[in-house]
Amino acid sequence: MTTQTAIFRIDGVTKSYGGVKALDAVTLEAGVNEYLSLLGPSGSGKTTLLRVIAGFEVPDSGRVFFQGRDITNLPAHERGIGFVFQNFALFPHLTVRQNVAFGMAHGAVPVSAQDTAQRTQAVIDMVGLKGMEDRGVDQISGGQRQRVALARTLVMQPKLVLLDEPLGALDANLRGRMRNELRAIRERMGVTFLHVTGSETEALAMGDSVVVLDRGRIIQRGAPDDIYSHPASPDVAHFLNRFNLFDGTLAGGSFTGAFGTVGVTNATRAPRDVYAIRYDRLRVVPVSAAPTGPALKATYIANEYLGSSVMNFFETADGKVVEVEHHLSLGAPETYEPRQDYLLTWSPDQAIVFGREGK
Amino acid sequence: MESRVLKPILAVYVVAFILFLYGPFFVLTILSFQQGPDGGPQFPITEWSTYWYQQIFGLTPPSRIAPLPVGEALIRSLILAFMTMVTSTVLGVMSAQAFRRKFRGSSFVFYLIVLGMMVPGVLTGLGTSLLANNVFGITRHWYTTAFATHVAYTFPFAFLVMLAILNRFDGSVEEAAWSLGVTPWKTFRKVTFPLIFPGVLSAMLFAFTLSLDEFPRSLFAAGGTEDQTLPLAIYGTFAVEIHPNIFAFGVLTTLFSFALLSVYGILMGMSVRRARKLAMQEEIA
Amino acid sequence: MSDASVAAKGQGASWLILPGIVWMALFMVVPIAMICYVSFWTQTTFNISSTPTLASWKQFFASDTYTGALWTTVRIWLIVLATTFIIGYPTALFVGLFVKSKTLSTVLLVICVIPFWTSFLIRVLAWRPMLGKEGAINIILMKLHIISQPIEVLLFTELSVIIGMSQIYCVFMVGPIAFMLGRIDRNIIEAARDLGAGFGRIFWKIIFPLSLPGVVVGAIFVSVMVLGEFATSGALSGRKVNLLGNIIVTQVGSLKWAMASVTGVILTVVMGLVIAAFLRIVDLKQEL
Repeated sequence: MTTQTAIFRIDGVTKSYGGVKALDAVTLEAGVNEYLSLLGPSGSGKTTLLRVIAGFEVPDSGRVFFQGRDITNLPAHERGIGFVFQNFALFPHLTVRQNVAFGMAHGAVPVSAQDTAQRTQAVIDMVGLKGMEDRGVDQISGGQRQRVALARTLVMQPKLVLLDEPLGALDANLRGRMRNELRAIRERMGVTFLHVTGSETEALAMGDSVVVLDRGRIIQRGAPDDIYSHPASPDVAHFLNRFNLFDGTLAGGSFTGAFGTVGVTNATRAPRDVYAIRYDRLRVVPVSAAPTGPALKATYIANEYLGSSVMNFFETADGKVVEVEHHLSLGAPETYEPRQDYLLTWSPDQAIVFGREGK
Repeated sequence: MESRVLKPILAVYVVAFILFLYGPFFVLTILSFQQGPDGGPQFPITEWSTYWYQQIFGLTPPSRIAPLPVGEALIRSLILAFMTMVTSTVLGVMSAQAFRRKFRGSSFVFYLIVLGMMVPGVLTGLGTSLLANNVFGITRHWYTTAFATHVAYTFPFAFLVMLAILNRFDGSVEEAAWSLGVTPWKTFRKVTFPLIFPGVLSAMLFAFTLSLDEFPRSLFAAGGTEDQTLPLAIYGTFAVEIHPNIFAFGVLTTLFSFALLSVYGILMGMSVRRARKLAMQEEIA
Repeated sequence: MSDASVAAKGQGASWLILPGIVWMALFMVVPIAMICYVSFWTQTTFNISSTPTLASWKQFFASDTYTGALWTTVRIWLIVLATTFIIGYPTALFVGLFVKSKTLSTVLLVICVIPFWTSFLIRVLAWRPMLGKEGAINIILMKLHIISQPIEVLLFTELSVIIGMSQIYCVFMVGPIAFMLGRIDRNIIEAARDLGAGFGRIFWKIIFPLSLPGVVVGAIFVSVMVLGEFATSGALSGRKVNLLGNIIVTQVGSLKWAMASVTGVILTVVMGLVIAAFLRIVDLKQEL
């Protein structure tokens, strides 16, 4: 991606709080009209990154560029970057309409009363809040508040909108619906979204591109499929919450772990040796069976329905919980006997192996 | 089990405590209805009358007992309290706002401000009058030197009230306003201030009532008779013989305080009721 | 360059705090420094000059009237501190801990605060018809045949000053203590009770230690007000009880600025010691 099409770029940004580095020389850019998800566990610095871009925090070092301009020292209100807060941060003393019109009514750039009214109404209609205009913001539901927060930001026609875990405060049902709406709204407006989330499903489902952040550093960036099938490090595999990770030793083209020694054709370079198998790549067979691939003996504990799939939990002899996912589209799930031993098996070429010997 | 015994005992104690608090005021109220102008400020009541109330408003024929010199003093005190209220509240809001960010020496500044409510009025009063008299050679007035000491006394209260309010204030609404292109000053006016207004009202009430009743600072820092505030006028009557008119005046000022606090209560109640109404509508919806 | 903008933000804060600092420095710190300075000035009958001398200091410590006022101030302060604590604590205990309804405890606190809507001086004055020889207390006690002769030591003595101050200041003890007691987690008390602890034990091991910050805050309030007092002692003792505050008032009245300043410095020192001692027990900024 060239600088011409990049809407914003941050360059070696570092920010510490009381000696703890929240951001450690982070460099990142996003293109025009792009949906970028930023995934990271809590404390990874993802909110700090957003706040630096928005101008709420000043970085200790590094520069922030927006539309080709250095805005590192520009105050937040002169940046023209939208921000949607996790708690929505609506103005509690104003109505829905006043909330949406706030930026136009009181902003530094004057907007005529007629334009304000027109644009406010258009955005309110777009986010589906018609008829709610004169309600106070404490008289509407959580999902509606989310829409007000979005409308309030979008009506200012920013080129970049930062969303700080915008769906975190909603219940699961609403979260699914709002996900689709967010995507649709963004596509219609043609703005760049930088969406911070702690949920891997959200990040993978929404972003054109996903950035994984850990301890103040970007550890991987790529398309969702790419990250899903090729996590760059054991940490990324861990955050994706889709892999059973086994510690062991990678030596001479084979990996030795709790399941014995397995040949490895392809290993990714990493500071520690980890063997990763996706939850849905494991098969369960009776102990009496003689599987062709590697096998691990484990005791069945319980299962959990996740809608489109069933998650089965097993425990190995050394107390590690192994998760096996069965997609319901592949047929009805099998039932297992609790406290009964089974063999978990997989095809070695579907494993992702990390190690000091990797390439 | 012990509380079953202890609670009634404590309840009786609290009633006695309240009687102790109110006793003098009851006696004062009774004696304010003493017969006049010959009835003294003690029991027994020779005859019930409203003479002393009438005397305050100048409705009685002149007698050997001079009416209280409170008319102009009251006006001065009200103006002074108003000036003090506005200045203290502005300073209090500004300082508390500054305390939302950590800055070097914030602990020192905190104690510097809070000290203002701890240092006895005699000291600030004496010091300020020394400065005015012996260093600058300026005449002391209720609206200059006394005003300065009043603010130094009430500003810490306003500051603490605002600090408590702003500690609970969620700054993300301000950041939201900035991100919409609204300047920090406009954000303060349109978002922060309306939201902290109940706190501002409390700070104003504190400053006003404290200044209205302030006595030791005024005693030193206000000038002569033409600069008397209401407490000074009352203090002046201490020196000479006291009469029930001062009791009647006490009852009247208390009623005035009640009126003032009722206005405050109604204003606060209105904002609380509005919030509750909204909450109820939400439940229905 | 980012440092510059951090500095700019810092300046934003200092711009806000500066007026407050300047005001407090100019009208509190400088005046008190002025008192210290003037206490070393030379006082003549009608005039005062800035020639440094220890004369006023020597005069203070040579005179029984002045040193007596210092000891009276300390004595009255300690007594009133004790009486306000003893009178106030049980009330706070009831309001803060025993009353379960939040409304009732608020109502009780408001009832305690209502007397403050009457002018301070009139509240002081109101004790005269209470305590006098023909005052309300004597009349009631005689009607009840508890006494046959009116008690005369009630008014215009040190006792009347102590009674008056106790009533005027005890609410400053009740408020902070009740506040701290109200914050105690009732489950702790329940748990202790389940373990078989009696009320006395629970009180001394749990309730009292947790209420201590409230006691200290109340004690600071009461101390600073009592130490700086002169009106109550003036009005209720018939000039028999002279506190440091009374000395300052009379000295200023006779234009003896240097002696007033010496007394002021001594009062400042006493006050500083008392506040510092209390702040060692509890960090005020933390409790707010």
